[in-house]
Amino acid sequence: MKILIAGGSKSGKSDYAQTLALQLAGQGRRFYVATMIPFDGEDQARIASHRTRRAGMGFETVEEPRHLLRCLENGPGAYLIDSVTALLTNALFPREADYRFSPEEGERCLSELLAFARQAEDAVFVMDFIFSDSCRYSPETEHFRRLLGTAGQRLAALCDTVLEASAGQIFIHKGALPK
Amino acid sequence: MVLIFGGAYQGKKDFVLAQFGLNKDDICVCSPEKAPDLTKKCLANGENLVLYCLNQGVNEMSYFRCNSALFEDKIFIFRDIFCGVVPLSKEERAWREATGRVMQYLAGKADRVSRIFCGLEQRLK
Repeated sequence: MKILIAGGSKSGKSDYAQTLALQLAGQGRRFYVATMIPFDGEDQARIASHRTRRAGMGFETVEEPRHLLRCLENGPGAYLIDSVTALLTNALFPREADYRFSPEEGERCLSELLAFARQAEDAVFVMDFIFSDSCRYSPETEHFRRLLGTAGQRLAALCDTVLEASAGQIFIHKGALPK
Repeated sequence: MVLIFGGAYQGKKDFVLAQFGLNKDDICVCSPEKAPDLTKKCLANGENLVLYCLNQGVNEMSYFRCNSALFEDKIFIFRDIFCGVVPLSKEERAWREATGRVMQYLAGKADRVSRIFCGLEQRLK
């Protein structure tokens, strides 16, 4: 089963995604795919906080901020991808290229993400919802929003269940919660 | 009347094309600078139509009320631009609020109101 969960900042999407991944894993293995390339102390603190919250849940952490398909070499299990936003950011503004805007790498990352979503048996995808404001962004940021929006639409079509998190509450847009 | 709204890049136009059997020629993509083609079945980027009113010095509510007979069988698509941080610019604040007011008015008139989230319909009315 594959699940997409999207929501705003601190909407509770990551915590709920962990619960979902545990349900999908059952007695089997569960992989936490760490996607964030920390930029500063704030990111380090965010990573530490996520680590604390999933401690004792039996997740095996897979550091894969770039090539999602490689994760599958770990074998069957429930994969928690937190987050699609970070994956696409890493690709579109690669650290090794001094964060220079790289649209081709963004497209490649989206294709790999969709290939992963087709191949994985059980996965939960976490995505930020950043599409409902009146800001006028730079062309690069607008490109990023379009890429993430496209990823959301394509993943929603591929996933069995699509959820929106808001203030820790869950709205079901498609499918049903795992039993 | 139908009102479809949602965030940017959520597949709102694609949804309307598929749901109502339209093709791209049936859609007028509204611009803040240009008068819309009101002969089209669907008016997309309604937030830009609101901005066009503001740019022309026309009260947005009067505009939509005056055209209510013509708009009765239209499909409107709006981007929900009002969920972010309150903008610093006065014009942008006015635009955002005017768009919210117009959407409330249209939602009241519409037979069907839906929000599109990642390409999926959330039927509200």
